[in-house]
Amino acid sequence: MCIAENTYTVDVMVWMLMAAHVVGVAGAASIGRTSMRRGLLFASIPPTLTAIYAIWLMWWGTAPSPSELTWVEGLDLGIRFNLDAVALMMTILVSGIGALVFIYGSGYFSANANGGGRFSASLLAFSASMLGLVWADSIWTLFIFWELTSITSFLLVGHKNTDASVIAAARRALMITGGGGLALLAGLLVLGNASGTYVISDLIPVTGTQGAVAATLVVVGAATKSAQVPFHVWLPGAMAAPTPVSAYLHSATMVKAGVLLLAVTGSAFADVEIFKALGLAFGIASMFWGAIGALRHRDAKLILAWGTVSQLGLLVTLLALGTGKAVFAAAAILFAHALFKAALFLVVGEIDIRTGTRNIDELGGLARSMPVAFAVALASCLSMAGAPPLLGFTAKEAAIEAALGVEGGERVIALAAIVGGSILTVAYTIRFLVTVFGPGPETQVAERRLAMTGPAVALGLASVLGFVWLARVNDIVRPAAIELNAGASKYELLRWPGLTTGLGLSMVVLGVGAVAGLAAARLSTPVPATTGANVADSILDGTLTFARRLTARVQHGSMPVYITTMVATASLATIPFMTDLSTDHLVWWDSPLQGAMVLVILASASAGAFVGSRLGAALTLGIVGIAMSGLFVIHGAPDLALTQLLVETVVVVGFVIGLGHLKRRFPPVTGAWRSVRLLVAVIGGSGVALALAASGANPSGRPPIEELAAASVSEGGGNNVVNVILTDMRGLDTMGEVVVLATVALGVLALANLRDSEPSP
Amino acid sequence: MISTNSPATQLAIRAASPLAVVVGAYLLFAGHNNPGGGFAAGLVFGAVISLRTVSGLQGPLHATRLISGGLLLVVAVAVAPLFWGDTLLDQEVLSSDVSVLGKVKTGSALPFDIGVTAIVVGLVAAVLEGLGARDLAETGSGSTTTQTRVEP
Repeated sequence: MCIAENTYTVDVMVWMLMAAHVVGVAGAASIGRTSMRRGLLFASIPPTLTAIYAIWLMWWGTAPSPSELTWVEGLDLGIRFNLDAVALMMTILVSGIGALVFIYGSGYFSANANGGGRFSASLLAFSASMLGLVWADSIWTLFIFWELTSITSFLLVGHKNTDASVIAAARRALMITGGGGLALLAGLLVLGNASGTYVISDLIPVTGTQGAVAATLVVVGAATKSAQVPFHVWLPGAMAAPTPVSAYLHSATMVKAGVLLLAVTGSAFADVEIFKALGLAFGIASMFWGAIGALRHRDAKLILAWGTVSQLGLLVTLLALGTGKAVFAAAAILFAHALFKAALFLVVGEIDIRTGTRNIDELGGLARSMPVAFAVALASCLSMAGAPPLLGFTAKEAAIEAALGVEGGERVIALAAIVGGSILTVAYTIRFLVTVFGPGPETQVAERRLAMTGPAVALGLASVLGFVWLARVNDIVRPAAIELNAGASKYELLRWPGLTTGLGLSMVVLGVGAVAGLAAARLSTPVPATTGANVADSILDGTLTFARRLTARVQHGSMPVYITTMVATASLATIPFMTDLSTDHLVWWDSPLQGAMVLVILASASAGAFVGSRLGAALTLGIVGIAMSGLFVIHGAPDLALTQLLVETVVVVGFVIGLGHLKRRFPPVTGAWRSVRLLVAVIGGSGVALALAASGANPSGRPPIEELAAASVSEGGGNNVVNVILTDMRGLDTMGEVVVLATVALGVLALANLRDSEPSP
Repeated sequence: MISTNSPATQLAIRAASPLAVVVGAYLLFAGHNNPGGGFAAGLVFGAVISLRTVSGLQGPLHATRLISGGLLLVVAVAVAPLFWGDTLLDQEVLSSDVSVLGKVKTGSALPFDIGVTAIVVGLVAAVLEGLGARDLAETGSGSTTTQTRVEP
């Protein structure tokens, strides 16, 4: 990879590729509607292009400079992408594995599968979100895409949305990762504030309380996404998703987002003790608990999922250690893990489809009946176990070396954790391999599908070829590691490390792990209970029940009480203005007509309060409105007057319809309640009037009317200042307003439909 | 119950509707230089459809289509300048000489206003539906009108 000065930037490509994904989502949604297979094949185009671009950049191109798309200049809102070395490595994984998974999916689903539009669009939307996440160079951009991956993951996990357990699993995944996203946002804001920039590549090391708070929040956010104990409970449940989703999101990409976050913020938190302590705690606990889970479960897919928890724990541990060598090892394992774990998921998916089961008790003898899948699984498993001659071996070797290289008291902890975790990893890997492919009752196997086998073979080969062409892998991994930690520049992946302590430990790990794994394969332990998931679900249910009760208490549904509360609150809000009240600048009127109009308004408003029939009340309100537009006219505001008049007109028609449904007279109310309402009305009205009078006494400056009028013609191209302000100068406000209008309208429609669907009383 | 579908009302509303539509269109186009604009135009059109619905001259409108179409248009106008490197909602002004009308000046504010109009009309249509205008249009339909009820 060439890290020379940029003479020619190709950053336009980044945007084009993102746009291609967005267009692809729409295309996949419509094509997938008729055929899931064609939808997925179509959706594979943007990731393929992106992967080709990333590989081209890696070896032949120059890294594009960061680029920013500002969409609101004044508010500093924008999307900032930076395709640095880390992002490039992740892009190759996200889009490369993505393209293969899309093709695999076209073979995984049956020809008449339902929901193809939704599924292929969601999967591609996830792909785009994940790319945005790895490209993001601003805290805002990162957060937005982070949450988008949670949402698309929710849609994908819940693909089979008729099954209650699937829905529960999808909800659990969304709540845990989405909740973690909030912690992350808070952490990133503190971090950005402490380091004085919201651009990720400019973050500087932070210290002190701010640093500790930010580190805690960021690590917790990362731990939810990367399924660290105790937040891991969503990941096994997420295996309810179709296998292409599990392979893509829950092994290769999305669960790496947390790890990636720790990696890019690691240098900013280098001096924060709690970052390391928390990271080690999460990482080591997950490494062991995940591996134990993988040894206990009997569903092949769950075994892999728990293995992912363990591997993510290893990555978090290494990043928490934070030495150059550890960061380098983390980058290498992240890369290797994505390849072998995705391949294994694809194989399990193929087994599921062709045999109809994933239970290891029912599987056996697949080495003979599914030789290609077995070859892929063998290569990937050995890579996962860290056995030579495979890519995983070199990465695992780097991890053990990293642990050996740690200084001080942490050395024992790091070494024990990584060696112990690796032994368990070898054990569950061997158990998986033996129980699925080894001797056992011969399972009936259906026809092979090329679309499924091809991508699995490609990923399986990657683990082998990665070892053969280790220099190429170094090209990808090293710049990324160096960018994260300059200390990583001394290291590279080695095919043969020499007769070192590390190699010795590695051999011990393989030996002990293999024996343990073979022993575990014979045991038939009961399937563990899903305690963690149940606890998470009951917490969620409890929250929802509480929210429902609170809402029922607050939203009682009485319109008079709502309005009284709102008006009373608004009058309280006017109190601060009263201090400026003075009568010096007040005049009775500019023209006596105004006085007349005000008298009309006062008279009809008071009449409205005492009139007993609904039609009478509507009429008096109408008079108030029309007199009000008269006031606007006298004041020289034709736009306001026009709008006010038109609103009144439309409202009259509304009254005509509405009154037809209601009794002619208002229902009786008690005297006390009526007095309260009258009092609140009077206080509200006079409060607003007084506050306006007071604010007039203390003008904060003359409104720039001439400037606005000039700008209206020169920039907005119109003579009506009001409308130019609405459509141009304050166009964003107008857009916000019409969105509110549209939302209100949809709400009204939803209520109307709700009423129509209920049996009439 | 108020009678809203007498032949006299229907005749009056029929006569007034085209006029009101012209007024609405005028407000929409004139808004840039004279009082008017998208909100006002939307309210005029809204008043027309409310009256026609109440008097049984027409069935409910596709509120969701109007709202989503309007929103799409507004967002498209807002986002479009980003593609040629300007900021969000940057104005483009066009002016040309048209033979009869003389110099005509317009800009991207017009489609923006059209979108606003569509949303306001959609809101009115939605409120009409929420108030049960559909039932009214059915039960109060005059003998001379044909009912075209379209499911939204």
